[in-house]
Amino acid sequence: MNIAPRYLGRGSWLARRDPRTIILVVALVGITVIQIWDIRIVLIMLLGAQLWYRSARIPFRLVKRQWLFVTFFVSLIVLWNTILTGGEVGGFQREQMHVLFHLPLLGTPIAAETLSYGVTQYARFFTFATLGFTMAYAIAPADLGVAFARLRVPEKFAYAIDLTFRFIPSLGNDLQTTIDAQKVRGHEWDKGKGGPIAKLRRTVPLVVPLTMNAIVNAEDTIDAMDLRAFGTGRRSWYRELVYDRTDRLIVAAVVALLVTFTVLGFAGVTSRTYVFPFLLDLAGG
Amino acid sequence: MSDAGPLVEVDGLTFRYRRATEPAIRDISLTIAPGEVLLVAGPSGCGKSTLIRAMNGLIPHAYPGGLEGSVRLEGRLTTELKLRDIALCVGTVLQDPAKQIVGATVEAELAFGPENLGVPRGEIRELIGLVAEQAGIEPLLGRETAALSGGERQLLAMAGILMMRPRLYVVDEPLANLDPRSADRLLEILRGLADRGNAVVIVEHRVEEALQLRPDRVLYLDGGVARYLGPVEGFLEIADPRAVKLPFEVVLARAAAGTLSEPPPDAASAAADEPAADAPPRLAFEAVDASIGDHRILHGVDASLGRREVVAILGPNGSGKTTAFRTAMQLLPVTAGRILVDGLDSKGRGTADLATIFGYVFQSPSQMLFARSVREELAFGPTNLRRDPALLDELIADCLRRTALDGLEGIQERAPLSLSFGQQKRLALAIALALEPATLILDEPSAGQDHRTAEAFMREVLAIPGLQSVYFITHDVDLALTHADRILLFRDGRIVADGPPKEVIVDEARWRACNLTPTSLMQANTRWGGDDDRFLDAESLALRIVRSGQTAPVGTEGGSTSTLLD
Amino acid sequence: MSTMALSKAGLWEVNSRTIVYAAIGAALYGVLGFLINIVIPGSNNVSVRPAYALVPFFGFAFGPIVGLFTGLVGNALLDQLSGYGAFTAWNWSIANGLAGLLAGVFAVMVADRMSTPTTRIVGAGVVAVAATLVGFLFVFTDIWVFGNSFEAALTGSYGWVIVPNLIAAVIITPILAAAWEPLKEAIGR
Ligand SMILES: Nc1ncnc2c1ncn2[C@@H]1O[C@H](COP(=O)(O)OP(=O)(O)OP(=O)(O)O)[C@@H](O)[C@H]1O
Ligand SMILES: Nc1ncnc2c1ncn2[C@@H]1O[C@H](COP(=O)(O)OP(=O)(O)OP(=O)(O)O)[C@@H](O)[C@H]1O
Ligand SMILES: [Mg+2]
Ligand SMILES: [Mg+2]
Repeated sequence: MNIAPRYLGRGSWLARRDPRTIILVVALVGITVIQIWDIRIVLIMLLGAQLWYRSARIPFRLVKRQWLFVTFFVSLIVLWNTILTGGEVGGFQREQMHVLFHLPLLGTPIAAETLSYGVTQYARFFTFATLGFTMAYAIAPADLGVAFARLRVPEKFAYAIDLTFRFIPSLGNDLQTTIDAQKVRGHEWDKGKGGPIAKLRRTVPLVVPLTMNAIVNAEDTIDAMDLRAFGTGRRSWYRELVYDRTDRLIVAAVVALLVTFTVLGFAGVTSRTYVFPFLLDLAGG
Repeated sequence: MSDAGPLVEVDGLTFRYRRATEPAIRDISLTIAPGEVLLVAGPSGCGKSTLIRAMNGLIPHAYPGGLEGSVRLEGRLTTELKLRDIALCVGTVLQDPAKQIVGATVEAELAFGPENLGVPRGEIRELIGLVAEQAGIEPLLGRETAALSGGERQLLAMAGILMMRPRLYVVDEPLANLDPRSADRLLEILRGLADRGNAVVIVEHRVEEALQLRPDRVLYLDGGVARYLGPVEGFLEIADPRAVKLPFEVVLARAAAGTLSEPPPDAASAAADEPAADAPPRLAFEAVDASIGDHRILHGVDASLGRREVVAILGPNGSGKTTAFRTAMQLLPVTAGRILVDGLDSKGRGTADLATIFGYVFQSPSQMLFARSVREELAFGPTNLRRDPALLDELIADCLRRTALDGLEGIQERAPLSLSFGQQKRLALAIALALEPATLILDEPSAGQDHRTAEAFMREVLAIPGLQSVYFITHDVDLALTHADRILLFRDGRIVADGPPKEVIVDEARWRACNLTPTSLMQANTRWGGDDDRFLDAESLALRIVRSGQTAPVGTEGGSTSTLLD
Repeated sequence: MSTMALSKAGLWEVNSRTIVYAAIGAALYGVLGFLINIVIPGSNNVSVRPAYALVPFFGFAFGPIVGLFTGLVGNALLDQLSGYGAFTAWNWSIANGLAGLLAGVFAVMVADRMSTPTTRIVGAGVVAVAATLVGFLFVFTDIWVFGNSFEAALTGSYGWVIVPNLIAAVIITPILAAAWEPLKEAIGR
């Protein structure tokens, strides 16, 4: 069974960047946006993220499912949050709020503040997703392990990531063999009646052999690593990543962004929810 | 490097694994000089891999246990050296290449050793170029390791060791996964290393092939003890041809000298019982195409496999042998043509339904074992197919009996994963038999077993009562020729030959094009065999020749192996 | 070492053994999670991932470091394979990692009470449940990341993930532990 991340951004401007840059941008901009609750700035961030994402030239029809799921998920969260708090979102108190209307059936009051907060949540969440998606599609699968390794995470941890990618295709093939072997015995995990528990139990004939075989086979892999002096001193890394001027500029800009908004956040400038004035007007506030 | 002293000195070595009660090897002493090749042979479990672990430092650095005696590398005790320093002196290729490859790409795998030693990038790049040429794997550079064939993986594992430039090369059963042509290539590399002053230790029970390496000495282990250590000639005189695979000439000479014991009687082959009626064939491929992903694997396969027949399928790695039978079992769709089972189109029949006709035994038995007990494991198939639970006890006992597993105490309650490899293989067979198939399909029944065990396993399978036919895929030419009524030869997703063993081997060019080399047994059978279509195994043929008085002196045959003996 | 995971000595040691088991745990989580999950009918996309059971199992059998890596990298890998990106749900990956880590720690804490195979198998289930319940408390960081209220984080985030994961942990983890019992003695050094 062929399992690999889909490298849809292949050849694009973004994919030509050092994978470390892509990872750093996701991480640093992510942390920046977490601290911002002013929708005006979040929207600028979202716009920037979208441009960044567009530079990977990922065809929309191939990622439609993922975007739909993200939309569904964030809608659920925003709605659920609103209902559960009775509209008292984001630290606004009932007395201060400017109610616009009430939700049918539930009667939850929806105020200018509630709506503004919900919109901000949407925008923030989409910024995270937009950035996150670049990591899924714009980094060559073979580079991902190496990229982490070179981000100065501890050497052994980095190598473990490399090794994880090495095991994926062979475990995929093993799983296919196990699925086939059980089919021959009249067992198909995705067919048959019963509730979720019964279905879960039907995966046991796949999960157990796959896991136990992988563990038994690991014995030889461990020997092979020891025999080639793994972990006995500082390693060098053969694979070269090109971190050029553009990359340096991008990372510098992103670091500056993070520092700026951390300071502004602590100063209380951007960490408060911005309530749209026109909504306040509408509520007659 | 000093040419003065021996490279390795093993002195009175005894080792017991931490959890074992008995030592795995006892009182072994030997020395290996630069430029020397040592062949280590012996049956499964005799301690070959343990001896290797003692030489490459895994014992005692990674495997604690009871160690007596000493191992010195270039005069220094392995107990006092660090694994890192040993790695610079001893390079080891382990038994199964698929498990020891740690890189996702060929370059990453090659670079792994030098990276661990902190070698700078530029130097690694240079080394990769050199080693790729030396091992003949330049075409593989840039490929992903997961997509390599078994043979390519074995060569890559070897190349990964070459990158470390050690002085002693230790290889554990390198030939087991290779088709004969790739095996030749590997042996050439090893010979070249020895000629340039390195030492080589090769563990192999396929002695016939390993002799091509012209080993200086042979160590024969049995039960953890050295039974023989000395030159090749002396070894060939004492070795048991049933335990290791010897060149036919040697077996013949032993028969002539009267030192060969009688082989077990050939079990009545499943196919021999009744004459075939006019019934349609059990399994017929009609111009079958099949693909995996976008990759077309089978190109118009045409074959019919009889109801009462033993058929062996031979062919190079990746030629589509497994794919053909996966298609027959409806595990892969047929993209063109059709497959008939007992004369009826099998389209639309489920895999489980077909499993009641074909018992399909996968190469690796453990890949399907999941249950708490053997009993539960055996009951799984029949229960899925809603067989009468009242008959289950009897069915299970019967399956265990037919696979000779019933001799093990409390077998029904044992955990399947705690069984030995050989026992798991039988259990896989019993699992297939539990659906009461008329035909067995075996994918590489001899993989992972030594010569004696593989041979015995095949005999037992063919002697299982109640089976009409057996189809098996193998890389072991002699196993195929001696047990099959008919051979199908695969190449590039097509069948290039189909017929009784004697006919299929006639065209030597075709034989070699399928990465197969003529074995000494094959040539002997052609020369001395009877008029019937069946091939005899080495011992039976040798005894027959001796009894009929037509003994030929060893070495006159112009075959590939006899020239290796001088 | 395989059995050493149940003792305090070497609990936090990282050697080639730890690294290989960690990588296998993460790759298994990714591969199985990607190919095999069960959507609970009628529930909006809540799915039971049998693969989750691997996280507490690897922590239980091979120690906290292996458990941490299996959960953290395994979940990130699964998101990467599914096309959402490894970092998008980073705090959920950390929650998975914590569950694995805690399974390793809890296993040592109750090691004295697990002297027979049966108690070890029951122990695996108990440890898995406890580690899941505690480890996934980390998803409450959704309050900070997404600006959810506590109630929404409790029901929407924690509840959303904890119920299917507990089901997988209760049913599959002990089965894995049981299969591992006879093997544990046969392999290893
Ligand atoms: N890690 C281990 N722990 C305990 N016992 C072991 C271990 N490895 C091997 N043994 C035992 O030591 C003995 C020798 O095993 P070894 O692997 O050296 O045999 P071998 O000759 O290499 O066999 P094969 O041809 O099957 O590879 C066997 O009885 C085996 O069960
Ligand atoms: N899961 C898979 N995905 C993609 N390609 C595959 C897969 N399985 C097999 N192949 C390809 O199909 C071809 C035929 O494979 P198959 O397993 O049938 O060969 P085989 O004759 O059984 O070889 P071997 O002797 O090595 O077992 C090979 O080129 C192989 O790379
Ligand atoms: Mg061995
Ligand atoms: Mg095959």
